[in-house]
Amino acid sequence: MKISYEWLKEYVNLSLSPQEVAECLNRIGLMVENISSFEDDTVFEIETYANRPDTLGHLGVARELATLLGLNLKIKKWPLKESPQTTAEIVDISILDPQLCPRYCGLVVRGVKVGPSPEWLRKRIEAVGLRSINNVVDVSNYVCFSLGQPIHTFDLSRLKGNKIKIRRARKGETLRTLEGSTVELSPEMLVIADESTPVALAGIIGGEESGITESTRDVFIESANFDPVSIRLTAKRLGLSTDASYRFERGADPEAAPVAAVMAASLLCEFGGRVSKGLLDVYPAPRKPRSVTLRLKRINELLGVEIDPEFVTRTLSSLGLKLKEQSPGVWVAEIPSFRVDLEREADLIEEVARFYGYDLIPSVVTPAFSFELPVNRTRDRIWRLKEILFHHGFDEVINFSFADPEKETLWQTGFQPIKLQNPISSRLSILRTSLLPGLVENAVWNFNREAEGVHIFEVGNIYYWEDEDLHRESLYLGILSTGLRSGRSWNEPEKETDFFVLKGAVEDILHYLGYLPFSFEQVEHPFFEPGQALQVRVKNEPVGHLGLLNRNLVRQHDLEHPAYAAEINLEELFKNQPRSFKFEPIPRFPGTSRDLSFLVDEHITYQQIHQQLEKLNLPLLERFLIYDRFKGKSLPPGKVSFSVRFYFRHEARTIQAEEVDRIMQEIISQLKSSLNIQLR
Amino acid sequence: MNSLKEKIERCRQFFSELAPQVKDAQGVEELRQQFFSRKKGHLTLLFEEFKTLSPEEKKAYGRELNELKAEIQNRLTELEQKFQEKASERLIDDLTLPGRKLYWGAAHPITLFQREIERIFISMGFSVEEGPEIETDYYNFEALNFPPHHPARDSWDTLYINDKLLLRTHTSPVQIRVMEKKKPPIRIIIPGKVFRRETPDPTHLPMFYQVEGLVVDRGITFAHLKGTLEYFIKALFGEKIRLRFRPSFFPFTEPSAEVDIECIVCGGQDPACRVCGGSGWKEILGAGMVDPQVFKNVSIDPEIYSGWAFGLGIDRTAMFAFQIPEIRQFYENDLRFLRQFNRR
Repeated sequence: MKISYEWLKEYVNLSLSPQEVAECLNRIGLMVENISSFEDDTVFEIETYANRPDTLGHLGVARELATLLGLNLKIKKWPLKESPQTTAEIVDISILDPQLCPRYCGLVVRGVKVGPSPEWLRKRIEAVGLRSINNVVDVSNYVCFSLGQPIHTFDLSRLKGNKIKIRRARKGETLRTLEGSTVELSPEMLVIADESTPVALAGIIGGEESGITESTRDVFIESANFDPVSIRLTAKRLGLSTDASYRFERGADPEAAPVAAVMAASLLCEFGGRVSKGLLDVYPAPRKPRSVTLRLKRINELLGVEIDPEFVTRTLSSLGLKLKEQSPGVWVAEIPSFRVDLEREADLIEEVARFYGYDLIPSVVTPAFSFELPVNRTRDRIWRLKEILFHHGFDEVINFSFADPEKETLWQTGFQPIKLQNPISSRLSILRTSLLPGLVENAVWNFNREAEGVHIFEVGNIYYWEDEDLHRESLYLGILSTGLRSGRSWNEPEKETDFFVLKGAVEDILHYLGYLPFSFEQVEHPFFEPGQALQVRVKNEPVGHLGLLNRNLVRQHDLEHPAYAAEINLEELFKNQPRSFKFEPIPRFPGTSRDLSFLVDEHITYQQIHQQLEKLNLPLLERFLIYDRFKGKSLPPGKVSFSVRFYFRHEARTIQAEEVDRIMQEIISQLKSSLNIQLR
Repeated sequence: MNSLKEKIERCRQFFSELAPQVKDAQGVEELRQQFFSRKKGHLTLLFEEFKTLSPEEKKAYGRELNELKAEIQNRLTELEQKFQEKASERLIDDLTLPGRKLYWGAAHPITLFQREIERIFISMGFSVEEGPEIETDYYNFEALNFPPHHPARDSWDTLYINDKLLLRTHTSPVQIRVMEKKKPPIRIIIPGKVFRRETPDPTHLPMFYQVEGLVVDRGITFAHLKGTLEYFIKALFGEKIRLRFRPSFFPFTEPSAEVDIECIVCGGQDPACRVCGGSGWKEILGAGMVDPQVFKNVSIDPEIYSGWAFGLGIDRTAMFAFQIPEIRQFYENDLRFLRQFNRR
């Protein structure tokens, strides 16, 4: 909102420089965002708030300054040159919907010479960023930007039957507005109509037909009050926002309506006009002033500072409140009609604080008498998981929760996506149902910018309809690895990433977070190449997938490199109780190890070998480790060679070579009988 | 006469005495010569003698002699390897070559900054709460004292899913959810993703991160709000940073405040400063005393309890702190951007 320094002086005797005025306005929360000069005036761009329609005119801003500076507000008189004819003789005003139009004031000014505005008026109008059109239009804007009360002027001769009806629009009615567009009206919209048709969209914009032109002689001045919600809904529906609708939807002051009408009429008298006798004021249910009780004790309790009661009464009185002391330190305040924001004691305390100065309130650290133990471990787990991934060389990314429905469909995530009613664009019109498309896009972005490898992860929600009206958001982890591994150096050759880089990270997360036992099962999944995907299971319940991403799928995103990816449902994972950490004493006796190399049919997997060994349940076998696996010409066809190292230990004594030999025999015979291994 | 058997044994013993005294690769070679030299090597001599024996005797000692030879050869090879390795360990021909790097992944700057903020509040006894990103109109607006169809909602331009559901425009709904479940004292911060219907530009995006704080207890005052937020901002930006509180408006707080900190880019010296526009101040957070209507909505008696709350945009604050020119860089996930924050 633009506020003119010179215009403010019409209401308050300012001896401060514009810069000083700006600092004052900042102190009381009317934030000056910009100061500029216009001719010999200075213009402040002020941030105003939705609950303070009173500051949408110079009078309201002047009132704030006067209160802060301890000055008096100048109230101007608006003399009228009256003609003998009464207003009621000329026009007939009827409010058909008093809910949507609580008050309507009208005056007629005859014999106005429409023409360019005088210099003083042109300056005011242009200072606040409006275009000077003619004296009549400029007067209505001047009134609006003075009092914050929008008014509208009609060419009286264009109002058929001299009737003003404030009614809801009828279905099928239209209005050609002053802006030159035709709007379709509907019954929830309030209009100003003459005998037959709507002539204005109430509180928003006038009609072209009844507008002021060069040939207008007689002007009908409308100064009314309209229901904020109705104005807002209509303006929103029609995509119209005007200076009038902006003020009415914030709640205009019903008491300003007659004042504004008289002010406008008085100004029009200066252009040859004669005003009809007697303001027509239709106000079927006058609003009663609100009263609010204010306690000094409460002010001090809430602000944390002792405030002088004299300061309280002086400030609030200057703002237009009428205070009656009920008992010492307790007042009943009558709220002026222009302050729609003051409803409760807290609202008055804010006024006291604003003018007292936030800077003068002391700063005290919030005391605490009890601290709670943190109960939510999920956040710690997520950070630990991230640390494991950092250690594995994965960078963290954050993508938008929005997705492109066309691309998302290709992924066949199996989730019913949630569509947005009013998306930013069609490419951001659903919520994502997987983290992986975003990660693939990140890889493409980076390959296009000289990256040689992309190893990234994201922790975030996916969203879907679980049922027709049951939405879900679920926390997932996505990991992607593609291109060259990081860490190439002069004594380390460059390496392409592979599936086991990814799997190692997933295994470490499950292992270090204690989600045990976990296992993998080969599955088919639309994200991945056939035969190249594993399901991740914890305690035999599926929690996610990993594998080589389907090439056709990633090509749709323009990713040409093979990419390995995993997606884990963290909510499912975290439902499991992690195995708690237990300290184990360091072994006191030496252990020993044995190697075993053998051939086995190539369709036998490591997991099968692993399971056979676990099945044996050997207490002296501390652990085992696969250290070599190969296929090749040196081996019989259809065979694969495994080398496994076994570590043995007895916890109470040194283990004997003979017992190890015996266990090795047990292992060999188990593997022979179950998997038909041949020793090498 | 010393039988060959005895000589073999003595030779073995002799070797095992000498071997441990070897100190380097040259010593290994000398030891080898001592036993295998063509003319005088101890083993060479034993083999010479062996040739002179009768077939029966050859049968008796052949195996033992060969075993000894193998033993000594193995041991010499071992020693050779040992000293070779040691040599490669000790002698580096170019010490100026760069060391071996381990690549440590980088946390996203939003994550880092959020953690920094969390740490400060956790040190003051706050706990961290989270809540859903898909919300209802009640939790996002109504319970926070936004009347239906009020222009106050315009500053929280909303992405809707349907008539009932929307994407939360702030993390404040979690304040309501916590206060519904838990009675005071409450001392929480709420970080999270929020959504606004904003067309992307250098400082606006339809998704960003926010952190809010809420304290509810008996006797909480505006002075506490000031003191705690001053401590927080100094902990984040340094002891010397200047800040100011000025009145503002939020439907869910009364009185409301905005906090500006001095521009760390120009210090108020540059009238054309890209960051503060020459004012010397940068708006950093909104705050206020919890509105009594909000307390009533969650059945907390505002006559007994009072509280303060604040909210801050993590992205914007991180942009200011690190002087990142465009907010969208956070979500482009360019590795050249992300990896820098590993040094933070």
